[in-house]
Amino acid sequence: MFQTINVAKGVNVHVNQTTQFKTINFSIRFKDKLTKEKASARSVLANVLQHSNEVYPSHTALRMVLDDLYGTSLYMDSTKRGNEHIVTLNVETVNDEYLSESGVLEKVMNLMYIVLFKPNFEAGLFKQSIFEREKSAIKERIESVFDEKTRYAQQRMLEHALPDHPASISPNGTIDDVESVTNELLVAEYRTMIEENEIEIYAVGDIQPETVASYIREFFHFGDREKPIAAPPLELKKPEEPHVREFEVMKQGKLHLAFYTPVTFKDEKFPIMQLMNGVLGGYAHSKLFVNIREKESMAYYVSSSYASQFGLLFVLAGIDANLEEKAVKLILEQLEEVKKGNITDTELDQTKALLTNQLKEALDSARGQIEIYDQYMELSDSFEPEDLIKRWKNVTKEDIAAVAQDISLEMTYFLSGKEEDSDE
Amino acid sequence: MNKVQFEQLDETLYHEKLDNGLEVYILPKKGFSKTYATFTTKYGSIDNNFVPLGETEPIKVPDGIAHFLEHKMFEKEEGDIFQQFSKQGASANAFTSFTRTAYLFSATGMIQENVETLLDFVQEPYFTEKTVEKEKGIIAQEITMYDDQPDWRLYFGIIENLYKNHPVKIDIAGTVESIQDITAEHLYTCYHTFYHPSNMMLFIVGAVEPESMMAFVRENQAEKTFEEPADIQRIFPEEPVEAALKERTLEMSVQKPKVFVGIKPETVNLSGPQMLKHELAAQLAFELLFGRTSDFYHHAYESGLIDESYSFDYSLENGFGYALIGSDTQKPKELAEEIQNTVQRAQELWPFGQADLDRVRRKKIGFFLRALNSPEYIANQFTRYAFNDMNLFDVVPTLEALSVEDLQDAFYAICGESQRSVFTIVPPKKDSE
Repeated sequence: MFQTINVAKGVNVHVNQTTQFKTINFSIRFKDKLTKEKASARSVLANVLQHSNEVYPSHTALRMVLDDLYGTSLYMDSTKRGNEHIVTLNVETVNDEYLSESGVLEKVMNLMYIVLFKPNFEAGLFKQSIFEREKSAIKERIESVFDEKTRYAQQRMLEHALPDHPASISPNGTIDDVESVTNELLVAEYRTMIEENEIEIYAVGDIQPETVASYIREFFHFGDREKPIAAPPLELKKPEEPHVREFEVMKQGKLHLAFYTPVTFKDEKFPIMQLMNGVLGGYAHSKLFVNIREKESMAYYVSSSYASQFGLLFVLAGIDANLEEKAVKLILEQLEEVKKGNITDTELDQTKALLTNQLKEALDSARGQIEIYDQYMELSDSFEPEDLIKRWKNVTKEDIAAVAQDISLEMTYFLSGKEEDSDE
Repeated sequence: MNKVQFEQLDETLYHEKLDNGLEVYILPKKGFSKTYATFTTKYGSIDNNFVPLGETEPIKVPDGIAHFLEHKMFEKEEGDIFQQFSKQGASANAFTSFTRTAYLFSATGMIQENVETLLDFVQEPYFTEKTVEKEKGIIAQEITMYDDQPDWRLYFGIIENLYKNHPVKIDIAGTVESIQDITAEHLYTCYHTFYHPSNMMLFIVGAVEPESMMAFVRENQAEKTFEEPADIQRIFPEEPVEAALKERTLEMSVQKPKVFVGIKPETVNLSGPQMLKHELAAQLAFELLFGRTSDFYHHAYESGLIDESYSFDYSLENGFGYALIGSDTQKPKELAEEIQNTVQRAQELWPFGQADLDRVRRKKIGFFLRALNSPEYIANQFTRYAFNDMNLFDVVPTLEALSVEDLQDAFYAICGESQRSVFTIVPPKKDSE
């Protein structure tokens, strides 16, 4: 799918030349270690860089150029994977073949160069007003999680279960850490990002791999960099308090359970855990959906998800605030069924069919291709979707029951409106 | 079967209107492994007052019934239809909007089987009092979930402010109370009135071979019998041009206030090319006034009046429409004022010329071409456009033909002061100690 060209030590260009899309997608990913401080500083940095630069010193000027380039989309974001923090420059532009104008592509590549290499500096620092405004923007983004109660409950659950662990560190950092970012520190972080971070550059669309690679070589001047020493595997400590209830003014009860499993992304048994998650609660045919939603009419959403980087399995359900105990009991019963191997052939076949479909569908978008390739590259240099599909095919009920044995409930978190009869 | 080629876009669309009235569209996408199909009825939450098929007197049905019906379509005597789709490797889903109910799947294999399942399950209703009762608990949780979402409440809050009588002001899922009145008989009445093939559209896009797929659909439909198609009589109340309420505030568990300024358009009875032209012209006018390159955005963002949650949008349907502009903000009053002043100033002195139009037009064309990478966008938008007698593939030529005056005209229909309203969500007042 992707052809990889190494342009410097620690800097790779991956191109999928295809006519499937009417656009060309670029994604330049800067990978660093995930800590609260790094996440905070790098999120501010991403915003500052996408705001303006030396050539287009105001936000308006930069956005006008993008509009003129047929609404080319350009934004930077801050994400995480395992114990890595990733800052990405995302760009999507229309293939000029569909336009009455050519030369758009060169202009877009030049703009990416400007965004990364020509920051809006004043006397060696980022322009102060922009620095301040984008610091606030990141704080506002962190605060806004509270408004979405499902996201908020998930975050609270992780903070209680695994404080200071990469699983609970937000890719945007924390309010306090953002607060303490100085302009000097941000410039240093910028230098580190450009000069020391591992970089993966992706391009998907009707573009030749060598065109991208030579452009990067000629203009971006990324030097060699050392690959960071592989971090030790992430340990999952038992939560200090395994059962937490919190209250906010709200109607629904948000039940979030965290289970630990020794099987992580790099484990031989990873594909089996994916299937186990699918049988338990990944789909509308899964045990949780069929039993808790359809049979009991207790929930609109109830599902499980597998955070394979950490070896965590989550179950989420939106329920009546009085039904916490009943819901936990029913959820654990379904997991027990899986552990006992009470899985029908139909359930197994359905789950395999949907996992396969999901993977193939994701590859029908340029972003999906980049995400999947970037993730599976960790496992092998020559990732082929068919290999994974084949591994799912061979999994049996017994295999699934076996991996389920080591799944343990470690955290029950419940967020709901204040109970009327509770004495506080 | 008709075949229409869009050369500049490198797309070919196949179309046939079947004998029973069903409109079928097929759009093959080169290089794609997935197929996405939607089977949509022109029936949504606003259709709550109508003359049932074969009768003469209009009835009113409980709020939330179109959405309830959508849920119940998935349950059959032999079980849940999700099970069937899963067996065939397809992800299935459905949604109900103000004006449409769509059933859909996406899959990378067994496409014919999945299309058959899609057609058959939507065309074989099975409702009993027992299954209807059972669903009430599930939908009550869905409603409760939305009740806790401030952005949803903000959206519906402003629409409720704008509309006095039109059923667009009723929450799509209804309320926990209103759904209690729904019976199996109601569902059958709505089903028979609105799920006739002549009121529906099938759109298949992706890795699909048009000739054989069209033949397959034709045959599937020919095997079923339907009543003669009849015009559906929908009844809508009179709606004034003025906003029903000038402003309203709601307390919710949020970290800072949220505000929307809503504006009601003057003209809501457009369709076809006229509607397309108006909608696109209005969207470009709002892009110029409130987009990321506007003076408004620049000042509001730099001064901290808006944050990353800022959004603006204009949409129009037959009978209603709204422009919405807003953000999370510590200063909802100031922001609402600034938005209204911006509208007012543009009304007094139109500030944009040809160069501005050219720029936002390019942006919009680029957006449209990007969207054509998405089978979901194509199927859903094509259907929405078609139900309003518009053609999705006319977007680029229509954009190209727009003049500055067109933008002005569209804008003037949406800017009267009495047509505006403000809705604010604020954090609960702290208990005073």
